[in-house]
Amino acid sequence: MDAIGGILLGFQVALQPINLLFCFIGVLTGTLVGVLPGLGPVAAMSLLLPTTFHLTPVSAIIMLAGIYYGAMYGGSTTSILINIPGEAASVVTCLDGYQMARQGRAGPALGIAAFGSFIAGTLSVIGLMLVAPPLARTALKFGAPEYFGLILLGLTTVTFLVSGPMWKSLLMAALGVFLGCVGMDVTGGTPRFTFEIMELFDGIGIVPVAMGLFGISEVFLNVEQSMDRSIFETRITSLLPTRSDWASSWGPILRGAVLGFFLGVLPGGNTAIASFMSYALERRLSRQPEKFGTGMIAGVAGPEAANNAATGGAFIPLLTLGIPTTPVTALLLGALIIFGVQPGPRLLAEQPQLFWGIVASMYLGNIMLLILNLPLIGIWVRILRVPYSILFPLILLFCLVGAFTLNNSMTEVGIMILFGVIGYFFKKWQYEAAPLILGLVLGPMMELSFRQSLTMGDGNLLFFFQRPISATIMVCALVLLVYPLIPWPWNRLTDE
Amino acid sequence: MNHDRLSSGLFFLLGLLICLQSLAYRLGTMAAPESGFMPFLSGAAISLLAAIGFVRSCSQGWKAENLGPILKGHAWQRALLTLAALLGFLILLKPLGFLLFTFFFMVFMLRAIVPHRWGVVIGVALLSAVASYLIFDIWLKAQLPKGPLGI
Repeated sequence: MDAIGGILLGFQVALQPINLLFCFIGVLTGTLVGVLPGLGPVAAMSLLLPTTFHLTPVSAIIMLAGIYYGAMYGGSTTSILINIPGEAASVVTCLDGYQMARQGRAGPALGIAAFGSFIAGTLSVIGLMLVAPPLARTALKFGAPEYFGLILLGLTTVTFLVSGPMWKSLLMAALGVFLGCVGMDVTGGTPRFTFEIMELFDGIGIVPVAMGLFGISEVFLNVEQSMDRSIFETRITSLLPTRSDWASSWGPILRGAVLGFFLGVLPGGNTAIASFMSYALERRLSRQPEKFGTGMIAGVAGPEAANNAATGGAFIPLLTLGIPTTPVTALLLGALIIFGVQPGPRLLAEQPQLFWGIVASMYLGNIMLLILNLPLIGIWVRILRVPYSILFPLILLFCLVGAFTLNNSMTEVGIMILFGVIGYFFKKWQYEAAPLILGLVLGPMMELSFRQSLTMGDGNLLFFFQRPISATIMVCALVLLVYPLIPWPWNRLTDE
Repeated sequence: MNHDRLSSGLFFLLGLLICLQSLAYRLGTMAAPESGFMPFLSGAAISLLAAIGFVRSCSQGWKAENLGPILKGHAWQRALLTLAALLGFLILLKPLGFLLFTFFFMVFMLRAIVPHRWGVVIGVALLSAVASYLIFDIWLKAQLPKGPLGI
């Protein structure tokens, strides 16, 4: 099936009233999640995953994907109005967005964030539509060593890109891989590290772990701080950017879209990195770099476009290779597996309605977001006025119920609370949780492909370097692994 | 104590424990790895990386930001109360039922962490309990425990 035929099939699926409804619920929830500081898309998707169990896989994934890219839209609102990013990808929007609001230009800042997100989101879906099918065809030639190489590359890229020392992020990834080994051994059937707890025989679920590490631990940290926040009192008169605003924003939006898309495709290149790199790029290209941080609209347009484009790009490795590159796509992979769908190169051939349905829903979702966001900004501002001290018990309640309803089991709740406490100390000790989540999801796949490869190669580790695709991927992974360990003079300077 | 030194020490021990337990699952050979193989490798990686972190933290000396208790200057008691409320879910959900538990949970959180006026507390707790009951139990048909009230 060609891309045009595929997308037409996708629209047939996505335009079904039930799928439209769940797309709407997803993008609305995502925007709300993006608006509310302290509740990111990972936590929200973990919370809502159990509620999708009675839906069809297409409707469920359409809704969950909507939360993901919806959160990127919503995150800019809090960055611009209260100088608090709704989620990590909107941190950089605070720099110029909030300054624009202080100068009475909150409307154009919010407007260009929404338009930029829409344009980049749409472009990235076109990219997804064009790149995914040929990549899926290529991936059909992959065997166990190639998959192992790709997983290793994904993990090393994440550990390379997250902040903090490399040993900490590698340690988190190794811990995640270990947690992925808990449960019944997929090949031997031996229960490992289960301590006679029945629920652990199927392994540690990603949802309670993600809820704990990202949701509960965040609440623990937030309740320790002052819970006051003030919204910058400004009248939002017009959301439409002026002609001169557009002239300053076109370039950043298009560059942000391209940059974000490719960073989304790369293992580990997440939305936050895309927005930071776009900001750095715009400042470098600007004729007035010194004015960045004082209310430059390019500093809002570029990063907001980049983080939305990265969401579309991130679906490519997930849907074509079955490899998640971010915690959010790791959760989506978990959701697909729960629904009995195995993402990978065969997904496109075996379940074209699911693949193209998701792609088409992203077009529709982006249009919904644009229509929703501009008139709803007033409502989001009102929601932001709800004190956090009232909001956080509700977040906790949703987490508790979400974890419990996964299997109607208190064990899942216990795991979530335990990882909440662990996540709290991880944050205090500056360990990033993202590599752990990726390790947890990729661990079983990694173990299987590693053991299969060793058996195929008769225990020879050089076997990974005897096949051209596998060798290329392994070399890339090893370069990323070794690079930070070499005491380059510039690394020493950065450390100091 | 230096946080990196403390945390890497703990991770080193964790990695060792994982390695030791993995031996019980049999490692197999390189050509035919068995159940303990991958956990052993991950445990060894954890210990090795923790050892690198430990040596690094020692060689860098004491950094000002790494000193002192991590809870200093923060209202950590609030985090502890929040944890207690979460653990309450494990113990009290089944005897009380979802509706009653939600009400008391909200009352506790709204009074104990940042105290609100009783009117606000009761209002928000009632509204949250009823709304979450309607959403989870009635609409989403989640199998939540029923308490003495039968709901």
